[in-house]
Amino acid sequence: MTDGPLIVQSDKTLLLDVDHPLSDECRREIAPFAELEKSPEHMHTYRLTSLGLWNARAAGHDAEAVVNTLLKYSRFAVPHALLIDVADTMSRYGRLRLESHPVHGLVLVSNDPAVLKEVTRGKKIAPMLGLPLDDETIIVHPGQRGFLKQALLKLGWPAEDFAGYVDGEAHDISLNQDGWQIRRYQELAAEGFWHGGSGVVVLPCGAGKTIVGAAAMAHAKATTLILVTNTVAARQWRDELLKRTSLHEDEIGEYSGAKKEIRPVTIATYQVMTTRKQGIYAHLDLFDAIDWGLIIYDEVHLLPAPIFRFTADIQSRRRLGLTATLVREDGMEGEVFSLIGPKRYDVPWKEIESQGYIAPADCVEVRINLTDAERMSYATAEQEDRYRFCSTTLTKHNVAVALAKKHEGEQVLVIGQYLDQLDALGVSLNAPVIKGDTPIKERERLFDLYRKGEIKCLVVSKVANFSIDLPDATIAIQVSGTFGSRQEEAQRLGRVLRPKADGRGARFYSLVARDTVDQDFAQNRQRFLAEQGYAYRIIDAEEVLS
Amino acid sequence: MSSPSFAEELRGRGDKSLAELFAARPDLLSPVPSGISALAARANSLPSLFRARDVLTQWQFDVLTAMMLLAEPFSEIEVLQLVGKEAIKTVELLWTRGFTYKDGEKYRIPSNVRAVIGDFPAGLGPISTKKLNMKDLKSAPDGAMQLLERMTWGPPRGQVADVKKANANIKWLLENNFLIALDSQNLLMPREVGIHLRGGKIFKELLPNEPTLTGTSRTQKSVDQAAIANISTFIRWAEELAHNWSDEPPIALRSGGLGVRDLKATAEHLGVDEDCAAFVAEILYLAGLIVIDTDDQILPTASFDAWLSREPEERWHNLVTLWISTSRVAGLIGKADGKNVAALGPELDRSTIAALKEIVLRVLSTSTQIDPDLDSLVTLTTWLTPTRANREYIQWILREAEWLGITGQGALSSFGKALLQGEELGVNEALPQPVDHILIQGDNSAIAPGPLTVDLANMIGTIADIESRGGATVYRFSEGSIRRGLDHGQTGDMIKDFLKKVSKTPVPQPLEYLINDVSKRHGRLRVGVGSSYIRCEDEGLIQQIVHDKKLEDIHIRKLAPQVLISETDLHDLVIALRDAGYLPAIENETGILVSAPAIRRAKSRPKPPRIVGDPTSPTPALISAAVKALRAGDKATANKPKALPRTTANETLDILNQYIEEQASLTIGYADNNGGVTQKLIDPISISLGTLVARDHGTGEVAYFRIPRITGVAPASE
Repeated sequence: MTDGPLIVQSDKTLLLDVDHPLSDECRREIAPFAELEKSPEHMHTYRLTSLGLWNARAAGHDAEAVVNTLLKYSRFAVPHALLIDVADTMSRYGRLRLESHPVHGLVLVSNDPAVLKEVTRGKKIAPMLGLPLDDETIIVHPGQRGFLKQALLKLGWPAEDFAGYVDGEAHDISLNQDGWQIRRYQELAAEGFWHGGSGVVVLPCGAGKTIVGAAAMAHAKATTLILVTNTVAARQWRDELLKRTSLHEDEIGEYSGAKKEIRPVTIATYQVMTTRKQGIYAHLDLFDAIDWGLIIYDEVHLLPAPIFRFTADIQSRRRLGLTATLVREDGMEGEVFSLIGPKRYDVPWKEIESQGYIAPADCVEVRINLTDAERMSYATAEQEDRYRFCSTTLTKHNVAVALAKKHEGEQVLVIGQYLDQLDALGVSLNAPVIKGDTPIKERERLFDLYRKGEIKCLVVSKVANFSIDLPDATIAIQVSGTFGSRQEEAQRLGRVLRPKADGRGARFYSLVARDTVDQDFAQNRQRFLAEQGYAYRIIDAEEVLS
Repeated sequence: MSSPSFAEELRGRGDKSLAELFAARPDLLSPVPSGISALAARANSLPSLFRARDVLTQWQFDVLTAMMLLAEPFSEIEVLQLVGKEAIKTVELLWTRGFTYKDGEKYRIPSNVRAVIGDFPAGLGPISTKKLNMKDLKSAPDGAMQLLERMTWGPPRGQVADVKKANANIKWLLENNFLIALDSQNLLMPREVGIHLRGGKIFKELLPNEPTLTGTSRTQKSVDQAAIANISTFIRWAEELAHNWSDEPPIALRSGGLGVRDLKATAEHLGVDEDCAAFVAEILYLAGLIVIDTDDQILPTASFDAWLSREPEERWHNLVTLWISTSRVAGLIGKADGKNVAALGPELDRSTIAALKEIVLRVLSTSTQIDPDLDSLVTLTTWLTPTRANREYIQWILREAEWLGITGQGALSSFGKALLQGEELGVNEALPQPVDHILIQGDNSAIAPGPLTVDLANMIGTIADIESRGGATVYRFSEGSIRRGLDHGQTGDMIKDFLKKVSKTPVPQPLEYLINDVSKRHGRLRVGVGSSYIRCEDEGLIQQIVHDKKLEDIHIRKLAPQVLISETDLHDLVIALRDAGYLPAIENETGILVSAPAIRRAKSRPKPPRIVGDPTSPTPALISAAVKALRAGDKATANKPKALPRTTANETLDILNQYIEEQASLTIGYADNNGGVTQKLIDPISISLGTLVARDHGTGEVAYFRIPRITGVAPASE
């Protein structure tokens, strides 16, 4: 027994004591194989998962090193069974390899014929494979690279992909560091991605993921397809790329509902890619329009299912996923891993905050007592209407207005889910409302005015959840949300995390009706941020109103 | 000079050698025999001899077997010629243990020892009475040689449908006396032929020395580290399981024991496989920490609380010593062969397991720092105790020893060693020291960075849910968990004070809010049981009833200014009120006044009794079938063989002894397990242990008949 900073639990979680003198050293050593699950103030939780261990194998760490690290830092004796399990799991990675054969193209290779036999007999896998060349090699049908990797991962025999990437059409891109400097973590993230080949970079909102994308493009020096959530985000990407790289306006195209430009660097929206005309995805050709050298997926946690399917077809192209929260409410993290790639870089939010790159935030939950009449209506409401009812009550409206008034003079963002509620708030606050049917031009104009400080308060629907760059927003007031979505809460906080010119902190209010489902959902919504170390403070609505 | 008897020889042994005999065969001492003759009888009794045989090693057993092949009396030299010089000590040992006795310089064997070894020692048949010429074997037909080869290493017995109609090969072998026909179906290969075919050897291989144990070597430090992790994990499992069953007690199966579904749920709760969960449950059951209660619920006992309050070392010691001595084999649980054996059920006892466990642990303790290969350990154990070794059992013993922390990484730990040698265990010192604080974090979780003191763990367990277990424990507070705490009689302030006291970190504000909110709502609604109510808009009248002395018996309680509630049922309440001079009216469940007096009706569903009386008349088919059956039975009785005279057991014994001497065939009546008596034609051979050994003409085999079941004896009629 040592006095180490790490406690290895029998359910394969690792607890890291942050206050321990060796915690930083230990964190560095376990980071390659354990996944950071949550990082509240005292004890960070990591988890040993098959994916994480295989990831470590891919990065050249062997089981012995992993076991030694666990033993070295563990405070208590480590269960032997767990160590054996780690070694077993890790030994499964790399027994199957995808390689490129000079004559037959893509082949699946293994030095262990028994394993090869086992997986090729699988009902799902057999149709993807062609004839065996010998005991250890089998031809893979062209175009099945992604699907095969996905299926093998599910079987627990992840294939190591040595088949390489196409370079794509060369296009000179470099960072133009004039008057700004790429940050250390951005550089590490881009390098981590480049050496890994493909994968996902996780950085908090406001930490400059676009720059990581730009740096990756500078590594690739090739034509790039960037997929983003919406048109406003597409335009922000374009502006940012123009500012940060050597690219010129005519080298960047926008492929959206409004425009269909294909240029060496093309920014397309998920929406246009998944638009169907008579049941056919009409814009799929974009993936083949140019010999892309790099594909960037912005907000990869939102990647719609059809895009996954297209992505499986383009496994020979380098893929970079960017996100602040690799939490998918639909549990498709495994698909992200096998099709986009493993997580290549991840840094706790609080660490970036302590470096001053994102604004410190004060999260406040305002508990609102409903009036007796409202409680009565809530109690008699149908199950499916309850959330809508309790999150759009008049009491809540009044509290939101009072809060916005309290912060008059600061840049306030009111965010909500229900349009009539937002419209009412817009009227009460005399503030413009941005929602789904607001034209792109109008949206951009309003955001621009807001950025300049000419509008002090904006009411926005979930269209503004992501990728909207509003550096000076300091106050966000959330009145309602998409039920218990954790990533939405984090993304909304992200709207106010861009560092402020005067170094001020941001404040995030979440309005919650007491003793209703609103409170249950709020608790779930807050989990991701709480696990990232954002402690919510609770105040009673009376405090605001008085 | 006639040869001495076993008893006479024992009488001649020195005190020291008798002491050695008792030390090796302790069963001879309980109770202490009345004299040397009694001792000799007991030492020559089958149960005692079987016991003594079970502790012989393979080598000792082989030497004893070899002795069976020699004609009595035999000399030590003859034995050594058969099995090798290494046997000197073993010959001495077998004599010490009473497997042989001395006749001058030579040895003899007490009569029952042969029965213990079996009819065919070393798989060899009897000595041929005829002259055999082994050279003739060379001209044997191929088929005949193949037959003999199959019998070479025993058993030396074969069976044919009918000797007289046997094929050419067998006929040749019989003609040349290489096979002996025992009866019309059974054939034996004479000993000489066997030894000849074995190339003059008796045993395939003789292993005078213990096989060496092979395995992976470990360092004592890493073994102890792994073992202490196992120990703390096992103690935690035990606590966890008992707590879990206290919350949700499983119901025992009707046949006794734990159901498969409950076992699965428990395994899931503990995060282990079902084998392990069953083992933990078994150990708790052995220690009396859980019990199958009278209402079939399986619950922790009061001893569990006492056990919890002890130091971990004592807790571990308590469980481990029980494991070492138990005859219950937890590995059998859920084994698919035949039927599903249940944990905590009545079918787990195996008499050999404790002895085998002791041997396996002894092997581990003589080869420390080795994680033995299973094959090697099985080989060694089989050599040490040929009759008891069982690969599956050994595997289970190793697995359980690892779970318990007697071993770590497969090798014996210092704690296991100390346990076996009865020394200071040192478990408490090696276990992480209990902590008396927790760390509460902003996400409403709390971490105990080590094992908690019992009181603390109990308290936190009631107000938070466990999220992750191991060296540390991660708890999560939720509305449900706080509510549970309040249900256990805590108040919001008590919980907050407790958390402030034990948390090293400040209690986060959201958690305080959670506690406040839940405790504010908790208990606002009250639920209770009542049978009837009294309602009146006149509050004065209600007051009057509450204080009315005449109504004391009907236990009225005031719920609201206008409502009273009573445990008494409606009918009695009305009568009591009327007797006291009030004029109540009855309301039905919708609050409407019932004007007519209620006519009482049963509340349960009608269950009319079944009709008992004359049976319905039988169909003609049934009648004719019955008649046929009667006739057939009649006929059978008429043809019954002549009844035997019934004899008492003592008479039977006398008659049998007489016929054994005369070597005459007999007819006996023999009662089977169901009490039915059948007649058998037999040739009596001997009587021992209240059993008649005889050749049964019906089967052609030697069979055993228990004397008390023999209803009568008569000489065979031919």
